[in-house]
Amino acid sequence: MASPMHQFEIHPVLPLPTVNVPGLGAIDLSINNSILSMLIAASLIVLFFAVSTAKAAVVPGRLQVITEGVFGYIDDLVTGIIGHEGRAFFPFVFTIFLFILTMNFLGLFLVFTATSQLAVTATLAVMTILLVLIVGFVRNGANMYKLFVPAGVPWYMLILVTPIEFISFLLRPVTLALRLFGNMLGGHVALKVFAGFVVSLCALAAGGGIATLGYAGAALSLGGVVALTSLEFLVAFLQAFVFAVLTCVYLNDVVNLGHHH
Amino acid sequence: MAAEPTSQPADAAPAHAGASTEAAQSGGGLPQFKFEFWGGQIVWLILIFAVLYTLLAKVFVPRLRKILDVRAETIASAVEQAKTVQAEADAQAAAAKAEIDQARAASRALAADAKAKATAELNKRQAAEDERLAGELAQAEDRIRGLRDAAMSNVNGIAVETAQAIVERLTGAKVTAADIKAAARAGQGAA
Repeated sequence: MASPMHQFEIHPVLPLPTVNVPGLGAIDLSINNSILSMLIAASLIVLFFAVSTAKAAVVPGRLQVITEGVFGYIDDLVTGIIGHEGRAFFPFVFTIFLFILTMNFLGLFLVFTATSQLAVTATLAVMTILLVLIVGFVRNGANMYKLFVPAGVPWYMLILVTPIEFISFLLRPVTLALRLFGNMLGGHVALKVFAGFVVSLCALAAGGGIATLGYAGAALSLGGVVALTSLEFLVAFLQAFVFAVLTCVYLNDVVNLGHHH
Repeated sequence: MAAEPTSQPADAAPAHAGASTEAAQSGGGLPQFKFEFWGGQIVWLILIFAVLYTLLAKVFVPRLRKILDVRAETIASAVEQAKTVQAEADAQAAAAKAEIDQARAASRALAADAKAKATAELNKRQAAEDERLAGELAQAEDRIRGLRDAAMSNVNGIAVETAQAIVERLTGAKVTAADIKAAARAGQGAA
């Protein structure tokens, strides 16, 4: 039986030249299975939107209803958290949500889950935090310090609160990246382990004798795989949603700095 | 799902399997921490994300936004129009109601008028009739009185003649009417 970690192995699909970036070293631009699944996810999104909005009508067709449902869902989320200024950030949140959602779901249908790669989730998290920082400094300039100094808090409390706020801000990209990575990693490892049980218990039971009971264990494991798969569908959606919500919350902190809390 | 085609080590190329287990062992177990693959993934992710973001932000989101705005506008204008039409209908209904009320009042007035006129006419006619009847009654009474008087005077004549005839039969003497009358008057006076 292969290791449950084997599914996360990266192997090249299409070799491309390695580029030497000064200061960063050599970057292998070969298409590997991780990049391939990202490409498939992005292509599916574009394809779906191109088809469903090609003949966009005021009275929507079936596909357009789905697209508008997703659109409205995230639109309500963004405007609900950030306010009417959230419209400017809607495309970013929408892209993040759709991309993560599609990669998560693809991981349940295809072999490889791009969002189970820390490199991917960390990049998404860093991109989000960079956007938050850029928006924050462009909008607030030097007032950005208010992010760590909540209004209406007495000075002696600030001594305690400000370092906590600062550290929690620094930890945001880390938690953002690790939450998605951990959920995807854990879910797929659990699936793999249970699926492995099915095979190894069946192999054991084939030996005959008392070991025939292994079939019962295999059936139990199979049921576990089915149950876990449905749970993973929920997790796949939930993690994309959580990432989008947190992106909105972090953006709201800097867009409406000093208006809330 | 976890059904990976190369999950059986026997199927995988021995060199690849060996390399991967070796790498996994040297990399601390998780393939995700083999940093030689990070660069490519990061660069490609940023590229793919940028393309996806551009397409969504410049093409699909405006397209959907426009549709939603047009729909909201259509619905709002339809509702507005419906409200206007409703108000108009209400106004018309009120006008119609006022008109009906007016017509009803007019007809009621007309009816009352006609009734009053008819009553007056009737009263007048009745009065005329009553007058005519009273006149006729009076006339008739006069006639009756005249007839009675005439009859009464005739009764005297008859009585006189009868008395003449009786006296003549009884006595054989002729008496004049004047005598009879005088006798009757004497008799009346005696009585």
